[in-house]
Amino acid sequence: MEQVKITVALIIAVILQWTLRNVHEVFMYVDFPLIIIVYAALQRNTIKALLFGTLSGIAVDALSGGLLGANGFSKTLIAYVVSEIARRVYLDNLLLQIPVIAGACLLDDLVYYGMHRLLGQEPDAPVLVTIAYTLIGTTIAGTLIYLILGNFSADSFKRRRRESLSSRRQTRRRNPIRLGKR
Amino acid sequence: MIALLLGNFVLMAYDAKTASEERVIRVWTQAVANFVQSPVTTVTSSVNGYFQSISNLRSAQSENDRLKQRVQELEVQVQQKEELSKENESLKSLLQLKTEAKYNIVPAQIIGRDPSLWFDSAIINRGSLDGVKLNMPIVNNGGLIGRVIAVSPITAQINLVTKDKSGLGGVIGALGTSNALGVVNGNGKREMLEMGYIPGTIEVQVGEMVYTTGQDRIYPPGLKIGEVAEVRPGSATVPQQIFIRPSAKLYAMEEVAVLLYEPPATPEFEKTLPNAVKEDKKKGR
Repeated sequence: MEQVKITVALIIAVILQWTLRNVHEVFMYVDFPLIIIVYAALQRNTIKALLFGTLSGIAVDALSGGLLGANGFSKTLIAYVVSEIARRVYLDNLLLQIPVIAGACLLDDLVYYGMHRLLGQEPDAPVLVTIAYTLIGTTIAGTLIYLILGNFSADSFKRRRRESLSSRRQTRRRNPIRLGKR
Repeated sequence: MIALLLGNFVLMAYDAKTASEERVIRVWTQAVANFVQSPVTTVTSSVNGYFQSISNLRSAQSENDRLKQRVQELEVQVQQKEELSKENESLKSLLQLKTEAKYNIVPAQIIGRDPSLWFDSAIINRGSLDGVKLNMPIVNNGGLIGRVIAVSPITAQINLVTKDKSGLGGVIGALGTSNALGVVNGNGKREMLEMGYIPGTIEVQVGEMVYTTGQDRIYPPGLKIGEVAEVRPGSATVPQQIFIRPSAKLYAMEEVAVLLYEPPATPEFEKTLPNAVKEDKKKGR
């Protein structure tokens, strides 16, 4: 169930990346596929995260003026690094995930820019400004998306259900004991 | 992981090597993306249009009065022009001149912008089925916008003139009379172009118009590129640095046109030159 949810989220993210810049320029500062790839990597499923990284990266590259495979390369690398960190360090808290999104975004931009420079292709946009704006936009959007995904996840749903049922049981158990004491 | 990274790297290297040719993955992904991008563009432009029309209602009354007056003025002018046109036709028939359209155009709509922040390409809703081919020029009523860099059957990807690599032959002033010929390039600034190779001895004024020369074998001669915004003087040995503001609004365009222009064939003697094979492989650029 969790894997289906992430796959659907990734497809939606790629479609949003294709279309939202045409709706408003502000959306170009958000890297939606990267947010979902980091989320998938945080679930510690390395293989799936790597495949997601490559496929979504190439899907974005195909509609971009940049090199085909540059986003695929950077996002595959990010997926591997984040999933390795997530296996060693506890990162299930949203507050801990925010710096991970920011770091992943920074690394993604640097690798993307570096690969273009390496192959003699100079991107059009100014480097520092682009990295700064993408970092801010992606981190804010990523935090919001993780909140939404967290609320809709199967684990949190089960936890909430368990909590609500346990409170009822406690109420039922207490009454007979109290009555018996009296 | 290493296999995926290697695969991506090979793809990148191949893409960088064959930058001017058709790329299958790009072409078919664009065709698939069109089914998503076109409806989104239609919906957003109609929503924008609705809100725009509401805001326009405020000024509609005064504009209506002004336009009525203008219509009356124009009716008089049209009558005068009809007479002139008839006179012109009769004179042409006397001289046996034939009028013909210079280039055929295909109107198109921008349905997508570059999903990455790093580049400025755009996707239009016309492809090879409409007669669009690689390297065909894109214009709108303001002037030159760019050229086609990838074509799928139903969409095409275009590159803006402001992109670094897209150097094109330009002339300041009227083609044929001016000798201020140079190469126009994007310079990394999004709203500005740079023109090089103009000798310091040629006088260039701010505000002069810049047109294509057709020497690059991509763009036809006489297309408006923009106007001179700044001139940094050179000397007899150092060329001037000229900055050009593009005439077309490159970042607010929705409707464009593809010029179905195919450059003249390379002369025979040029094919025998040492770099001829390389040029053939590049197919233009």
